[in-house]
Amino acid sequence: MSSGRAHADRRALAAGERRFAILLVAPALLVLLATTTVPIAFLIWNSFQTINLAMPFLDGFAGLANYRQMSGDPAFWHSLQLTAIYTGSTVVMQLVIGLGLALLVLQIPRGQWLFRIFAILPIVLAPVVVGLFWRTLMFAPNFGMIDFATRALGLGTVNWLGSPTPALVSVIVIHTWQWTPFAFLVLLASLASLPEDLYEAARLDRASAWRRFIHITLPLLRPAIVIVIIMRAMTALSAFAAIYAATGGGPGTATEILNLYAYRISFTQLDFGYGSALAVALLVLTLAVSGFLFRIRTAGSGP
Amino acid sequence: MSSTRRRPATLRRVILTVAAALILFIWAFPVLWAVVVSLKSESEVLAYPPSVIFEPTLRNFRDALTGNLSIASSLMTSIILATATTVLTIILAVPAAYAFARLRLPARQGLGFYTLVTQMIPPVGLVIPYYLILNRVGLLDTYTGMITVYLTFSLPFAIWLMVSYLEDIPREMEEAAYLDKASRLQALWHVILPQIRGGIGVTTVFVFLNAWNEFLFAVQLGGNRIRPVTVAMHNFVSIEQTLWAKLAAAALVAMLPVIVIGILAQRQIVKGLTVGAVKGGGRR
Amino acid sequence: MTTRAITQGEVILEGIVKNYGTFRALKGIDLRIAPGEFFALLGPSGSGKSTTLRVIAGLEVPDAGRMLVDGTEMTFAPPGERNVAMVFQNYALYPHMTLEQNIGFPLKMDGVPKAEIAARVQDAARKVRIDHLLARRPGQLSGGQQQRTALARAIVREPRLFLLDEPLSNLDAQLRLETRIELKRLHASLGVTTIYVTHDQEEAMTIADRMAVFRDGEIMQIGAPAEVFGRPDTLDVAAFIGSPPMNLIPARIEGGEAHFPGWRLALPGAPAGDVVVGVRPGRIRLADDGLPGKLLLSENLGEAMLLNVDVDGTLVKLRLPDVSPIAEGTAVRLAFDGSDILLFDPETRRRLDWPEMESRP
Repeated sequence: MSSGRAHADRRALAAGERRFAILLVAPALLVLLATTTVPIAFLIWNSFQTINLAMPFLDGFAGLANYRQMSGDPAFWHSLQLTAIYTGSTVVMQLVIGLGLALLVLQIPRGQWLFRIFAILPIVLAPVVVGLFWRTLMFAPNFGMIDFATRALGLGTVNWLGSPTPALVSVIVIHTWQWTPFAFLVLLASLASLPEDLYEAARLDRASAWRRFIHITLPLLRPAIVIVIIMRAMTALSAFAAIYAATGGGPGTATEILNLYAYRISFTQLDFGYGSALAVALLVLTLAVSGFLFRIRTAGSGP
Repeated sequence: MSSTRRRPATLRRVILTVAAALILFIWAFPVLWAVVVSLKSESEVLAYPPSVIFEPTLRNFRDALTGNLSIASSLMTSIILATATTVLTIILAVPAAYAFARLRLPARQGLGFYTLVTQMIPPVGLVIPYYLILNRVGLLDTYTGMITVYLTFSLPFAIWLMVSYLEDIPREMEEAAYLDKASRLQALWHVILPQIRGGIGVTTVFVFLNAWNEFLFAVQLGGNRIRPVTVAMHNFVSIEQTLWAKLAAAALVAMLPVIVIGILAQRQIVKGLTVGAVKGGGRR
Repeated sequence: MTTRAITQGEVILEGIVKNYGTFRALKGIDLRIAPGEFFALLGPSGSGKSTTLRVIAGLEVPDAGRMLVDGTEMTFAPPGERNVAMVFQNYALYPHMTLEQNIGFPLKMDGVPKAEIAARVQDAARKVRIDHLLARRPGQLSGGQQQRTALARAIVREPRLFLLDEPLSNLDAQLRLETRIELKRLHASLGVTTIYVTHDQEEAMTIADRMAVFRDGEIMQIGAPAEVFGRPDTLDVAAFIGSPPMNLIPARIEGGEAHFPGWRLALPGAPAGDVVVGVRPGRIRLADDGLPGKLLLSENLGEAMLLNVDVDGTLVKLRLPDVSPIAEGTAVRLAFDGSDILLFDPETRRRLDWPEMESRP
């Protein structure tokens, strides 16, 4: 038999599997291409246009004008700063509280299932409903539980959502409340799967609880921690509904993270060109942050 | 763990129990308080300090379902939207995940990375172009438009979740099936699919929850004809600032499906979160 | 069944090469397996025996060479078209199907009518004595029962080839012995060509008609077990076969004598030069005149004693029927007969034969 034919037969066999594979992925990938990539391309294209639904007579190619406007726009830099504060503080708090709780719950011999059920509750709620619940039931003056608590403690009424700094603190608290259970559940599952014998060995070596935590638990938990950070950061960067429902970005622009700013410019000011440019900035920021975090992850994982 | 821990001192146990109870309370409080508020009459709601003992009424729930503030039609919309999104997502994602996980797919790494990146697109980056596109093609405020948009977040997520379930199935399964004269499609249908029913279940739960809870796309690209419960809830507050008891009742009704699913599928959700977290980035 | 003339199931491999990236897993495998034969592929892990089996099954496509079954080229035929059945190391039973559905699956895929499937499944299950378990799922079975189910799924289709990939390795020792006998019995009654991968030489020796010894992607030797055991072709096979394997002691042949440090052994006609002398542990005895050495360790095997002796830096093992203990560190002398040894060329690593050796019984 000629080797040429063998080669052709081998290729035909591999091609059969490839064809089948392509047939299976094609629908999903075509849908993804059409529903995500085409709109993103359109978004980027729009960011170089003047598109103002209020003043359609001005529409046309704008070059880098939107981006130039962005670099000189104090509201943009302010929203970027808020994004950093919001994302950084919520991720850190979720991680610290979630890990602390997981360690605590692990010491409770019975009833862990109760925690899992209660932890699910905030996660499954729609963020917009969470925002509404907190805005009304918790923070509302003369009605909310937190207002009631501060008054009972003699601190008087704080207009939580009505003044800039308390409002920012409030939306951070809301986000942390909703998503800490995620970190908690993932870290609890990871902790429960750590090999017991390592701890026994460490105890035989007379390592203190703190040293066991630093030298055994944390390194073993590292992959789970990094992935929690990645996923939580992605959620925080694109947080919208809870803030929108609780403060609408206000008072003024006190809680208007970049996400909400891009939304307001587009849909309230109807400046879709500039709004697109802001959304592109958020997209770039998100991909940069996740790229950076993924790099940390692969750099740290051993062989 | 308990066997290797030191004998817990009584004080330690008390502190742990109190701390644990406090956490449970904080997580449950807004929902529990919403239940309390929803059972009050509108006048009772405004009592200060808030009353705990009162005569409960189901009026608010009746109004939430039947009155002129009813969210019944929104519930229907949410059911249609979330179900259609889930069904379409599973149909598209499972075969794709199979190709990613098991077959010699050309440019697999590149395509996998592409899928991962699409999952990270901030929704605001999509809602802006989609508004212009759907407006132009006349699909604003239609099921077709909304389901299309919902696929943008459900599909990449579902593919990745399913890949991690498929990778757990031993390769010999297909090999045995091939030797048993099964075609590739028969191996997938008769041998693989029945073994990933659990994973499909978890994915279904996640996609359904996410579609049910979605707000940004719904409020901007739907709104009138297509008004899911999340949008209805938001409108509720904008219209009637002070009808807090009715708001609480309506919100509880709107969230009842996801709360029930969350509690029933608690184990699966935790598994999905963990699977996604441990393997989400394509660790292997 | 036993009277059926065995005319099909001949397998020929010619120059099979398989690469995984830069790793060459098979370096040119040539093999002819006769119809009805029970043929073992023996070798350590990573030697290429499983890859060869997978090439025969069609689960791997070779990079060069070809494969014929009953004279028909099958190198690139998909697994389903080869009419071969395989038992996997971990059985690969379908966990969501009952045993009945598992065993019937190949028939269902083949379009066999339902009534016939039921009858044939019953028949196959009876042959491996699991017909009372058909309603269960694999997860509810012991390892031995799962193994039988996999066998039943293989025999139900009456294939022309059985491929068994380490089928006994997941069973405990007792069950392994029983199943070994059962496999042999099954083969005798079905008469289907059976190719059997194992790393356990005892398994191969007791069960196979012939075997191929694999090492580093090559076949070192093909032959009946007794032949391979008695006359290994190379130093590598000699060092692999037997438990413990043959002792390999360097020596020099001069004037029809093997010169060891401190001892000479007459070997009339043996070619002069440096050699490696191979001798089985059971063929060495303690003697007054022999190879001088020092006892390192004696292991009591119950019915025999295994002595580890240091002979001028070479570890020599000998098995003695007599179980009286000897103190470690004792100086001993080891002797063996010229008719019990083999010679190997240390350069080519191949066995050296000479006329007087060929003529011995």
